[in-house]
Amino acid sequence: MTPTKRLGVALSALALLIAGCGSPGAPVDPAPVGSVERPQPANAAVENDVEGGGAGDTSCDPTASLPPNGAIESGSTMDEIRDRGYLSVGVDQNTFLFGFRNPTTGALEGFDIDIAREVAREIFGDPNAVQFRAITSAQRIPALQNGDVDIVVRTFSITCERLEDISFSTVYYIAGQKVLVDKHSTVKGIQDLGGKRVCAAKESTSLKNIAAADPKPVPVSVDDWSDCLVMLQQGQVEAVSTDDTILAGMAEQDPTVKIVGERFTDELYGIGVPKENEDMVRFVNAVLERVRGGAWQQSYNRWLLERLGPAGPPAPNYQ
Amino acid sequence: MTSTVTPRGPGVPAPPAQPVPPVPPEEPRGARSGLAWLLELPGNAVRGITRSAATTPGRLSLIATGLIVLALLTGVIGTVSVQNRANTIDDLIHHREPLAASAQEVYRSLSDADATAASAFLSTGSEPPELRERYALDIAKAGAALARAASDSGGVAEAARQVEILSQQLPVYTGLVETARANNRQGFPAGAAYLREASELMRAKILPAAQELYEIDTDRLAEEQDDATGVPWLTALLVLGLLGALIGTQIHLKRKTNRVFNVGLVVATVAVGIAILWSAAALTVQSVLVSSGGSDGTEQSDLLVRARIAALQARADETLTLVARGGGESYQEEYTQLMGRLVGEDGNGGLLGEAADRSEGLPSAGHVDSAITHATAWREAHAELRELDGSGNYDGAVQMAIDGSQDRTAAAAFNRLDQELAAAIESGRQSFLDDTTNASRALVLLAPGFAVLAVIAALGITLGIRERLREYR
Repeated sequence: MTPTKRLGVALSALALLIAGCGSPGAPVDPAPVGSVERPQPANAAVENDVEGGGAGDTSCDPTASLPPNGAIESGSTMDEIRDRGYLSVGVDQNTFLFGFRNPTTGALEGFDIDIAREVAREIFGDPNAVQFRAITSAQRIPALQNGDVDIVVRTFSITCERLEDISFSTVYYIAGQKVLVDKHSTVKGIQDLGGKRVCAAKESTSLKNIAAADPKPVPVSVDDWSDCLVMLQQGQVEAVSTDDTILAGMAEQDPTVKIVGERFTDELYGIGVPKENEDMVRFVNAVLERVRGGAWQQSYNRWLLERLGPAGPPAPNYQ
Repeated sequence: MTSTVTPRGPGVPAPPAQPVPPVPPEEPRGARSGLAWLLELPGNAVRGITRSAATTPGRLSLIATGLIVLALLTGVIGTVSVQNRANTIDDLIHHREPLAASAQEVYRSLSDADATAASAFLSTGSEPPELRERYALDIAKAGAALARAASDSGGVAEAARQVEILSQQLPVYTGLVETARANNRQGFPAGAAYLREASELMRAKILPAAQELYEIDTDRLAEEQDDATGVPWLTALLVLGLLGALIGTQIHLKRKTNRVFNVGLVVATVAVGIAILWSAAALTVQSVLVSSGGSDGTEQSDLLVRARIAALQARADETLTLVARGGGESYQEEYTQLMGRLVGEDGNGGLLGEAADRSEGLPSAGHVDSAITHATAWREAHAELRELDGSGNYDGAVQMAIDGSQDRTAAAAFNRLDQELAAAIESGRQSFLDDTTNASRALVLLAPGFAVLAVIAALGITLGIRERLREYR
C-alpha cells in the first residue's frame, strides 16, 4: 500500500496547491447595466449640416406682399373652396398659445387658429367651416405645394428662401428668437451655448439660426416644438432656442424654466399660400386688413398679452 | 470435451472481463506499478475471452453474458428514454406552453396598452374610466407575464436579452405615460408630446423585443413538441436487436441440443415482445396526441395570437391617424397593410382565413368565423371614419373611433373582434392541454413496465442458459 499512500499524499498536495493559487475572481454583477439609453421623441436627431438662410437672409424684401382684394370672383380659388364647403388649413397642434389641442375640449386653440378662423369667416360667414390639418414645421412647404391644404397658419416665418417655393401674406406678427433654459442655468443667451445641445424643430428658421450662431451649438432637431420642451425637461438638451412666442408657451407649461437673452432675429409671421394662387394671397391680405382692425387685438389679449406684454398688429407692406 | 474453464455454478457465470483462471504465474505485484497492471487489463481480458470461446460451455457463458448485458442495457436506456419522454410532455404542459403563453401575453398586453393610451388621448376631458382601467390592467398583466417569461430565459442568451430590454424599458414607458397624463390634466400640449415619446419607445424598442421573445418561446415550444413525437431510435434498435439475439440464441441452442424450447429463453422472448408491443402502441398514441395538441392547439393559438396582435396594431394606427390630425398618412398605410394581413384583401384570406381553414371541426371554429365577420365590419366602419375625417368632420371621426357604446362604431367592432380572438386563443390552448394531457396518460406505467420486463428478460436468459450449462457439468 505504500505507493498508493504516496500517490494519495501527492494528489492532496496538488489539490491544495491548485485551490491555494489563482484569484477567486470578482463577485457576479447582478445588474450589468452601465449606461441608460434615454427615450427620445420620434425622429429626434443631431443636425450637423444645416444650411444657412434663416432670418438673416436679406436678398429680398420679405415683407412686401400683393395688394389686398377681398372679392370672390367665380372661378377663383376662394370660389372653389366655397363649393367644397370648408377651408383646409395647415396648423400646429403642439405649440401652446399659437396652435394647440386643448386636452380638455379636444378643440384646436391659439392665436394662429384664431387667424385661420377669420379667413374662414370671410369666405363662409362661419369661423368654424375649417378643416384643420396638423402638420410639422418640415411639412409646411410640401403641404402647400401638394395642394393638401389651402393655407398654412403656423408660426411661419417669411424668408427669401421660402418665397421661392410659395407665397406669403403680409406680416401679421413679428416675433424674435430667444433662448429657453432651466431656471438654475447660468446661460445668458445664445452666445453661451457653444458646443451645447440646443433643440429646435426640423426645417425651422430657428434651427438654421442656431447652426449659424457663434460659437456654434450642437443643433438637435425634432418634429414638433413640444418635443423640445420634453427633451429639455428630461435633461437631454441644454436649451431650446426659437421665437419668443413659442418659448412663452413652453415657459407657461413649466415654471422651472426661464427665457433668457435679447431677441437676436426678427421672425416675420405670414400666412403661407401656394405660389400659383395669387388671388388667395390678395384675399388673405384683405382679411388681415380687417383683422388688424380689432380681431387681432382681441386674440392677442386672450393668448399673449399676459406673457409678452402689450403690442399691436404690424403695419402691412405691399409691393 | 475438455475445458480449461471450470464450469462454476450455481449462479451467474463469471463475466469474462474478470481475470480468468488460470492466472498467469504471479509476478510480485509490489514490483509493478498499478498503472502498468491497468494497461494490461484489456489485453488479458481479450486473451481470456478468446480462450473460453473455443469451448461450448465457454461460448454459452459468453452468449448468456452478452444477452444479459444487452437486456439490462436495453432496459436502462429504454426506461430512461420513456421517462424522458414523459418528463418532456409534463414539461410541455406545466412549463413550456405556459411560458410561450406568457410571452404572448407580454406582447399582446403591451400592444393593447399602446392602442389604449392613444385612444385615451383622443377622448376629451378626464380620461374615460374604462380606458384607464384597460390600460392599468394591460400594464399589470404585462408585468406579471414578463416575470414569468423571465423565469426561464437564462438558458437562451437571445431570450435573456429581450427580457432585459423589456424589464428595463417598461417602467420608463409607464413613467412617460404618467407624465403625459399629468400634463394633459393641466391642459398642456406637452402631454401629447410625452405620449408620442412613449408610443415611439413602445413601437421602436419594447414591442420588437416582445415580438422576438414571443417568437423564441414559440419556437422552443414547437421544438419540444417535435422532441416528444420523434421515434426513439436507440431504444428501438436495442430492443429489436435483443429480440433478434434471443431468437438467434434459441435457434443455435436447438441445433446444438435438439431441444425445441428453453423455458427461460421463451419467457425472455415473450417479455421483450410485450415490451415492444406495449411501447410501440403507447408511443404511437402519445405521438399522435402530442402532434394534434400542436396542430390543433399551439399552432392554431399562434396563428390567432398573430392575428390578434395585427388587429391591436391596426387599432393603434387607427387612433394615431386621428391623433396626428391630418399628418397620419403613414399610420393609415400601416392600417391598410395590417388589415390585409389580418383578413386578406377580400376579407376571406389572411391570418384569420388561414385560422378558419385550420379550425374546421375544432371548438374554436365558431369564434374564428365571428372574428372574420367583426373584422369585416370594423374595416367598413373604418372606411366610414376616414370619410368623415376626410370631409372635415373631425369630431365625428373621433366619435366613430373611440365611442364603444354604439354598435356601428369602429371602437365597438374592434372590441367584438378582440373578444372573439381572445376566446378562440383560449380554446386553442385548451385543445393543446387536453391532447397533451391525454398523451401523457398514454405513457403511464410504461417506464417502470419497461424496466420490469427487461429484468424479467434478463432473469429468463440467466435461468435458460444455466439449465443448458448444467448439462456440461
